[in-house]
Order: sequence, then C-alpha cells, then structure tokens
Amino acid sequence: MNRVLSYTLIAAAATLMASPARAHHSFAMFDQSKKVTVQGTVKDFRWTNPHVFIQLLVKNDAGVEEEWSIEMTSPEHLARVGWRPGTLKPGDKITLVLHPLRDGSVKGGQYLSGIGPDGQALLGSPASPGEGK
Amino acid sequence: MIPRQTALAAAIALGCAATLALATTLLAKAGAASTGLPDWSGQWENVGATPDATGGFNQTLDQVLKQMEWSPPLNAATKAKVDAMQARERKRLAAVARGEDPGGAFTACTFGYPGLMLDTPLMFEVLVTPKETALIFSSREIRHIYTDGRPHTAKKDLWATPWGDSIGHWEGQTLVMDTIAVKDPYGPPDSGSAVAAFGDVEGFLTIGILTQQAHFIERMRMIDPGHLEDQMTIIDPANLTAPWHMRRTYERVAHLHRMVYEDCEGEDRNPVVDGHFTLTPPPSDTPSPAPAASAPTAPKK
Repeated sequence: MNRVLSYTLIAAAATLMASPARAHHSFAMFDQSKKVTVQGTVKDFRWTNPHVFIQLLVKNDAGVEEEWSIEMTSPEHLARVGWRPGTLKPGDKITLVLHPLRDGSVKGGQYLSGIGPDGQALLGSPASPGEGK
Repeated sequence: MIPRQTALAAAIALGCAATLALATTLLAKAGAASTGLPDWSGQWENVGATPDATGGFNQTLDQVLKQMEWSPPLNAATKAKVDAMQARERKRLAAVARGEDPGGAFTACTFGYPGLMLDTPLMFEVLVTPKETALIFSSREIRHIYTDGRPHTAKKDLWATPWGDSIGHWEGQTLVMDTIAVKDPYGPPDSGSAVAAFGDVEGFLTIGILTQQAHFIERMRMIDPGHLEDQMTIIDPANLTAPWHMRRTYERVAHLHRMVYEDCEGEDRNPVVDGHFTLTPPPSDTPSPAPAASAPTAPKK
C-alpha cells in the first residue's frame, strides 16, 4: 500500500472529523499506483510554501524537450531532512523517481526519490513504513 | 578631623559598594534561578510524525498508537460519534485515492491543541523562562504556559480557543502543564477538540472527541539529551469514562538549527477541474538564478 501522502492532506482529514469537509494541497492528482523515473536538467527549483517544486526539462522519446513539474513537500519539512533553497540549481542533471500525474497530457509528478548531479542520492529519501526512527 | 570632601567621597564609595553588593546578590539569585530550569533549546519533532522529502511519514499508525499508549476510554455516545467520523473519513480518502475532489477547502495550518502535542508533523521550540514557558510551533502557533503562580483565567473572562488557557509549574526538571478551555480550530463555537493519530497513508484515525470542559494535564521532561517526553492526561467526564492517558516523545531535528515556518495559506496549486484536482506550479519565493531571458519584465506603459 502506498504510504505517501502530504501531511496537509491528512491535516485536512483531521479537520474533517469535527467540521465540514475540507481539503487543500492534495496529492490526489498523482497516480499513487505508478512510479516513473525521469532524467533531465533542472530549469528551476521553486523553494516556496506550501510545497516546493522542481521544474525539470526532460527529453521525450522523440527527442523533444518537455517541462515537467515535480512536486515535493513543504520547505519546513525539506529543511528538516537537509534540503536548502540552493540544493538544486538550474542546469543540474538529475534523475527522479515519482508518482506521475493521472492526467498524462500534463507532465509532472510527486517526488519520491532522486539522484543528484553528483551521482549521490538526494536527501530525505523515504524509509519504508515501519522502518521509521 | 576628616575633611568634608573626603567624608563625602567615602560615603559615596560606601553607597556604591552597598549597591554593587546588592546587585551582585540579586544577580546571583537570578542566575541560580535560571540555571535551575532545564535547557530545552533547539528544534524538536514528534517521533512517528517525522516527514521525509515526499511528505510521507516514516511510521505506521500501529507504531504511532503504540507510542501514544493509546487506550481511549470513550463512553458509548462518544464512541458512536467517533465511529461515524471514521466512516466519513474513509469515504473521503477513497475519493481522494480516485483523484477526486471530495469538496470543501482547507487553507490554514492551524492544528490547535492537543493536536500540536499529539499528532502534528510540525517542529517546535521550547522557550523556558522563570515566569513562562512558550512552545513555539512552525505553524506559528504558540502555547503560553504561565509558571508565575497565577491561576487560570477567571471564568467570567475565559472563552475557548484552539490553544486553550494554560498554567504550569516545575517539579524539579519536569514541567507540569494544566490546560482548559480548548475548542476545535475549525468546528462550531461550542465544539471541543479532536484527538487523532497519523501514520502512513492508511494510518489516519480520529481516536476521540472532547468537550470544551476537557481538562488537560501534561508532564513534560527531558528523558535523554536527544528526547523530550510529554505524558498527557485528559479528564472529560462528559465524553470519557475515565481519565485518558497518552504519551508522546519528541526528538531533536537533525538537519536544521533554526525555525523555518510553514505557510499553508499560499497559492492554491490544486485547482479543481471537472471534479478532479489538477496541478499548477507556483512561482518561487526565492530569487531565481534562471537566465535573464526568463526573468519577469516590467509592464509596458
């Protein structure tokens, strides 16, 4: 069972318990049953609330460059596992594993893990459920 | 005979010495008082609700509940309400799993108490002073625990809030906190607070609801240099058949040495189209190092 879900969604769920339905910053647009790996060049690393984005230029099968939007968690959460606004820079060549958007007409996904420009795993790769600290 | 100027100088010198001695004594006492309080500085995060880079959690609900020593003594009426809430929540999560918008909007990071202590994935700092201890959370929520001997706010001046009314005292190195008048941040005016536990994606559970008459007693202490512990007891005769005891532990944030705030009120990058969430990446808060050609240009006049 996929374990990845933004805490904001869960927080929204919490508020649902005592009040009318609420939702925000959902990850529902991503297909949690699929994983894809993309290689590309960082166009922009958008360090912002509520969630951080990696804009990645990826060549498709026809060799045409497409821009993917990769969503991460919040700056607060990322900073706690070692990320900083300068962790990725435009021009960095990286590889990412992600849950793709359900709507295949738009290129994007939810960040799961990655390999940085130095060939090392990017920080904060998730442990499996039950392997927590 | 002592000259008048010499006598005056001596008197001034004696006065200064006395003042200095008094000041030194007071400072020493103040110093002793301050050193008598524990140093809980740094950033802390809830064990079991520590997020990774994906926003996921690193423990299952069962693990979290075990840590909380969960044994909710709900009365029959409250249990029925909680069961109904859980059923609605499962229905909602099923809709989200299909990529559907279940309706409503959530645009704030307010967790409120006791969620801030029990289930939040936010980090916090503890500012200990002789008269007050403040628990400062990355959601910008603050719990003020007054330890100067004052009673709770008088009933005629008291109203329920998401953080309640807290006083406390020190028993050695343990901070004993006493909190009343807590309401749900998003509920109707007469709603009490909810208690929930979070684990992995399947691991969300509302485990209790309380009234505004609920009385919370906590005992917080440092169990080792890397961990704080909060033992919480909830007394709420209207919803509980007995006091509800829970335990949470917090560990030091490993990769950060200052507070970074959450802000859930930013842009909505999840516009709903035809009942389904979509994605619109927001602009960055930080200056973009992108080439000048992609930089925003001034509007033409």
